[in-house]
Amino acid sequence: MVKKEKYGSSKPPPRKPKMQIRELTEDHVKFVLSETDTSIANALRRSMMTDIPTIAIDLVEVEMNTTVLNDEYLAHRLGLIPLISTQVDKMKSPLESEDDDFVDVEFTLDVTCTSDSTMDVTSDFLIPDPKYPDIVPVKYNPVADQIGGESQEGILIVKLRKNQQLKIKAIARKGIGKDHAKWNPTATAVYQFQPEIILHQAVLETLSLEQKEEWVNSWPTKAVKLNPVTQQVEVDNAELYQYDCECIAKAEAMGKPGLCTINQKTDTFIFTVESTGVLPPQQIVITALDRMLERLNTVQVALKLESQTHEDGGEFYDCKYLDIWLRCLNVWQLIS
Amino acid sequence: MDVEDEAFDDEEEEISQEDAWAVITSYFEEKGLVRQQLDSFDEFIQNTMQEIVDESPDIEVTPESQHQPGMEFEVDEQRHYRIQFGQIYLSKPMMTEADGETGTLFPKEARLRNLTYSAPLYVDLIKTLTKYGAEGEDPIVETEELPKVFIGKVPIMLRSQYCSLYDHSDKELAELGECPYDQGGYFIINGSEKALIAQEKMSNNHVYVFKKTMPHKYSHTAECRSVLEHGNRPTSTIFVKQMAGSGGKGAAGCIRTTIPYIRADIPIVIVFRALGFVADKDILEHIVYDFKDTAMMDLLRPSLEEAFVIQNQQVALDYIGKRGSTVGVSKEKRIRYAKEILQKELLPHVGIGDYCETKKAYFLGYIVNRMLVCALCRRQQDDRDHYGNKRLDLAGPLMGGLFRMLFRKVTKDVKGYVQKCVDNGKEINLTYAVRAKTITSGLKYSLATGNWGAQGTQGVRAGVSQVLNRLTYASTLSHLRRLNSPIGREGKLAKPRQLHNSHWGMICPAETPEGQACGLVKNLALMAYISVGSPSAPILEFLEEWQTENLEEITASVIPSATKIFVNGCWVGIHRDPELLVRTLRQLRRQVDVNTEVGVVRDIRLQELRLYTDAGRCCRPLFIVDNQRLLIKRTDIVQLQNRETTSFGWHDLVAAGLIEYVDTEEEETTMISMTINDLQGARSNMESGYYPTYTHCEIHPSMILGICGSIIPFPDHNQSPRNTYQSAMGKQAMGIYCTNFQTRMDTLAYVLYYPQKPLVTTRSMEYLHFRELPAGINAIVAIACYSGYNQEDSVIMNQSSIDRGLFRSIFYRSYREEEKRQGTLCREEMEIPDAEVTLAMRHGSYDKLDDDGLAPPGTRCSGNDIVIGKTAALPDDGSGSVQRYTKKDCSTAVRSTESGIVDQVLVTTNDQGLKFVKLRMRKEKVPQVGDKFASRHGQKGTIGMTYTQEDMPFSCEGIYPDIVVNPHAIPSRMTIGHLVECLMGKVASLLGKEGDATPFTDVTVEDVSSALHKCGYQSRGFEVMYNGHTGRQLKGRQIFLGPTYYQRLKHMVDDKVHSRARGPVQILTRQPMEGRSRDGGLRFGEMERDCMIAHGGSNFMKERLFECSDAYRVHVCEICGLICIANLKKNTFECLGCKNKTKVSQITIPYACKLLFQELMSMCIAPRMLFKK
Repeated sequence: MVKKEKYGSSKPPPRKPKMQIRELTEDHVKFVLSETDTSIANALRRSMMTDIPTIAIDLVEVEMNTTVLNDEYLAHRLGLIPLISTQVDKMKSPLESEDDDFVDVEFTLDVTCTSDSTMDVTSDFLIPDPKYPDIVPVKYNPVADQIGGESQEGILIVKLRKNQQLKIKAIARKGIGKDHAKWNPTATAVYQFQPEIILHQAVLETLSLEQKEEWVNSWPTKAVKLNPVTQQVEVDNAELYQYDCECIAKAEAMGKPGLCTINQKTDTFIFTVESTGVLPPQQIVITALDRMLERLNTVQVALKLESQTHEDGGEFYDCKYLDIWLRCLNVWQLIS
Repeated sequence: MDVEDEAFDDEEEEISQEDAWAVITSYFEEKGLVRQQLDSFDEFIQNTMQEIVDESPDIEVTPESQHQPGMEFEVDEQRHYRIQFGQIYLSKPMMTEADGETGTLFPKEARLRNLTYSAPLYVDLIKTLTKYGAEGEDPIVETEELPKVFIGKVPIMLRSQYCSLYDHSDKELAELGECPYDQGGYFIINGSEKALIAQEKMSNNHVYVFKKTMPHKYSHTAECRSVLEHGNRPTSTIFVKQMAGSGGKGAAGCIRTTIPYIRADIPIVIVFRALGFVADKDILEHIVYDFKDTAMMDLLRPSLEEAFVIQNQQVALDYIGKRGSTVGVSKEKRIRYAKEILQKELLPHVGIGDYCETKKAYFLGYIVNRMLVCALCRRQQDDRDHYGNKRLDLAGPLMGGLFRMLFRKVTKDVKGYVQKCVDNGKEINLTYAVRAKTITSGLKYSLATGNWGAQGTQGVRAGVSQVLNRLTYASTLSHLRRLNSPIGREGKLAKPRQLHNSHWGMICPAETPEGQACGLVKNLALMAYISVGSPSAPILEFLEEWQTENLEEITASVIPSATKIFVNGCWVGIHRDPELLVRTLRQLRRQVDVNTEVGVVRDIRLQELRLYTDAGRCCRPLFIVDNQRLLIKRTDIVQLQNRETTSFGWHDLVAAGLIEYVDTEEEETTMISMTINDLQGARSNMESGYYPTYTHCEIHPSMILGICGSIIPFPDHNQSPRNTYQSAMGKQAMGIYCTNFQTRMDTLAYVLYYPQKPLVTTRSMEYLHFRELPAGINAIVAIACYSGYNQEDSVIMNQSSIDRGLFRSIFYRSYREEEKRQGTLCREEMEIPDAEVTLAMRHGSYDKLDDDGLAPPGTRCSGNDIVIGKTAALPDDGSGSVQRYTKKDCSTAVRSTESGIVDQVLVTTNDQGLKFVKLRMRKEKVPQVGDKFASRHGQKGTIGMTYTQEDMPFSCEGIYPDIVVNPHAIPSRMTIGHLVECLMGKVASLLGKEGDATPFTDVTVEDVSSALHKCGYQSRGFEVMYNGHTGRQLKGRQIFLGPTYYQRLKHMVDDKVHSRARGPVQILTRQPMEGRSRDGGLRFGEMERDCMIAHGGSNFMKERLFECSDAYRVHVCEICGLICIANLKKNTFECLGCKNKTKVSQITIPYACKLLFQELMSMCIAPRMLFKK
């Protein structure tokens, strides 16, 4: 799946960043971003972690707490529970809200342990706001619906002993990862440069089979393998290589430098994004791109204003998506 | 079965080093970690107390004639009273409420209500009255028995045999509100937990020989601190000295000795003559033993010549008597006095009865002999710092000494009371006579203050009892195993502070404080055991049976061919077959026929056999080796491993003679193999080296470490001071200090939110319960320079991790208050103070208080808020008019620099029945820039910057470090253990196992590395990382990344930040207060002053030191130069003395200067200020 971009007039000719999705599941996405710079890739990574609005519990009113954990402890734990945030766009964060905006989602929890054994209070015990029944903890399985036996997937909040009670009202709000890690929708957001492994078969052939095996074993990750049939070293999965240079060091230690050459392709990035469950992974990526664009637009508008106040200014392009940064740079160069 | 098969089977039966851990586990299971404290205290309760009561003489009183004017003096019968103390009884700890209700006391209640955890002590009293009638008549004897008279309360050590918690299961303990991991071994005095610190001292009755260097008067000295086994006589130290100097001086080479109460040193030969050994030959026999030893005989010649003039006992005694304290008395008296001194004061441990002269002469001769052996360079001088020469006074002997003193005071008081009653002809009521308060408050005073000895007396030792450290569980344990050497801290001498080779296995080589107390405060090694002492009588009996020849029965000439036998330093006889004797003794000890803690030391060179039964010797268990094989076999280990079914435990191992306790002195006569493998080597290699002589084998060398040292992973890979630093720092780490912290009201407590058990552990941690009560978190640590905010021992911490709860902690502080009541006038009440009628109200807010004058739980309070409102009624001022103020405020406010939420409020009564309140505040502490953290290798640092996740460096797997440490922290400190821990932590986390970092095992870095390589990582733990800001690869370097156990230390910026512009001043000098808690100023000290002088900043300095401090305006008479009266309202000035109203100068001087002038004036010195025009 290739995302096609539209371009305006090009001067200098911009590259066409490409995005290819390799794997998309419920909780993670792997895609390749190519023909662009590290700065873009990193901006995307950072944006995914910090700039995506999600919902998390932000204010806890404790009515009754006779558990072993104190109020602050519980509040902190509740805050970290991931809440399904697909509806976050309809919400406003407390700072940007006006009178009757949708800001607060109110969860309630009222549990008393009556049994002699220890009772686990999990996120399944949270009762969602009747106004927004879709905003629930991740993998929510309300206790009321559970027929015998507890759900294993609820997130543990606290354990209760007999007669201990917990009654709270928790208000969830919109926020971004920059403010607190609880609003960060990603569990992992990371990229890797595409490696290019070139094995020099001519040199490799000078090695005995044992030496080959030894050399192949020196790779911590099995990016290369020894073909048992041809007895040749082959590149198995280059992407496993982590630039640890172990193979080169080993080759030198064996007295056979130049067994392979490894190039780092600096314009291709293999992204892995894993969601905490609050948002589908593809949405994290898309929102991150949107947010980047939004920010660029802000810069653009500001620059426009700036240039209007100064002189005639430069030429502005109708920037779109990823090449926007490059253009921005051009703009800067033009001004200065 | 032929021989080869047998050998093969034996090899099968041998245990491995791994099996030794089963033995160690059984040791700790049976003994716990504070056994020395408990054993020692139990010995005190069970034996010592009764012995002290028994040894105290009966009280005997006869009426003394009283002259009472107007009363007819008449005595028709002679009365004689005798009061005996009998059996003592100790009950379980009890508590009597103010209303008289008595019940058993549990430690939890004692801690919460500030009570003393003590048990009442009772004693049987027997009063005998003997009436003597007229002469010839039989005296009439009346006996009255008073069973169980209460004589005082004895504080009880927790978990000792008389503690209410003794022999309770973990579940029962939890129900009693106790932490099942708590080891006891401390006392509770007025609600605070007190640990008794073991006191180190030199061993008694031991002969030490020292060489002296040239400017000294003597060339050699020998000393012996002689003290009786029982009883409370002070030690009497004897010094035997050889005069230095050759050529010319008359006294060169003479040997003299000190004798108690004799002012001058007495030539040794005279002492022998005074003891009844007149002939030179007799004397020499007692010293030299072997007349062929001409070298030694020569050394004695000057002494013999010196004493030539005194040739019989009477003259010798007179010679000594003349130098005594009696002056101007007759010769007979002098002789009797000298005889008495020799009998009672000279070497009392040999005997203080009649006819001890022979023994004393032999012992004195032995002292001289030892000194001469050293003088002849046949033997080294004694080592003062050898741990075999040291004894440790633990809770038992310490409490014993105190109890003896107090009990004597009680008997004295009883005697005084009885005497008074008898003299006045009153009825004797013994229950009144015994003042129970003496013992109760005497013991309480010493335990509460740490001043060991009676209140107000001289020579008390301070700091013996200390408040138990409850910062973290390890610090508590370590505190209970601490030793102190009462040597002056200022002493320049380095020797006593150094680690001595005899400390091996007894004292932790790492754990000691830095600075003044370095090496003087020590900590016990894990398996060290302190002897509690046993009577010497069974040993003496045994020796008697086994053909030991008594000193009285032998001639001195047989001594060279026999072995001298000492029991507790006292020479009891000689034996001709020491080999056999030692073998039997050891055999009996291994069969537990003789107490296992008896020390058997055979000194072959000195031809001595020294046996020790006294208390306070350091011992440690060792495997017994016979014929290069451990006596312990696999079958024993299997039995140990199935302890539940076989109930085979540590004491069975000792009873079976597989393991024995070896004390420091005996250790010198053993050959110990370090590992079990060494023995194997010895078997396969019989001929070479010293192999065939192993007698013992270490259980495991890692047992040389103490509590704090055992927490360090790979301490054997660290530079040694780093282990010492960690040992000190581990005590400041936050964790879970005990499981019942919610129910405790400690004044200060820190609890970590998400403690983790370390990924990299040591085997010893199992016994320290470090996994159950951990004090740290396995943080992902990168060792890298990143942005420069981790220079100079600071670290970068991941803000997102902090958001998620990394190293969060709670801080608790408790405030206590009681309604004091003195008489009817002074009464306090808890209420909300009414500003209308209350004097001296605080600045803080009183709004937080409830109707009962207490802030309810859940109240959020900031600094200076009142949390306990209390008023004291003001006394009537006597003017008769209506007073505006009837009360004075004495409320408790939250500390000005702290804030928090009221966590728990306890309202109860104390032992006087007064209302007693404890209020606990709680505050969540989130890590921030400036907070202190440390790994387990003495690598401490503060947070220099926090970065959110996206700004941290990341690996291609998406791993972001929690902490980034600067690599410069490593090379100069050489904490390789830190790196190995990280590497092993990485492997452990990947395999989902715990890593074993026990010191002195076969784990190598290579093993760990290859395991990591197998997991698909760079073998040395390096990873390619990417800059979080730019996204670029950190080129040219890979980052060492992995999980390392980090501790959060209690030092946090929020508790330290301080600044002041204006603020409170001291009353006396009007200079700014000192200290953050009083909002004090920051000292501009002399060095800062010097600096300002150097910069030429005199005006700045005047501002700092004068205007901003204590500037004060005074008016001075220009005639007399003294301060005069200034009425500024009327603008009149007057010097009364000079009648001067015009010539007055106004000046500003420091208030301290004005104060000094006035103080001088009060001493009749007139400091005059003169002014130049």
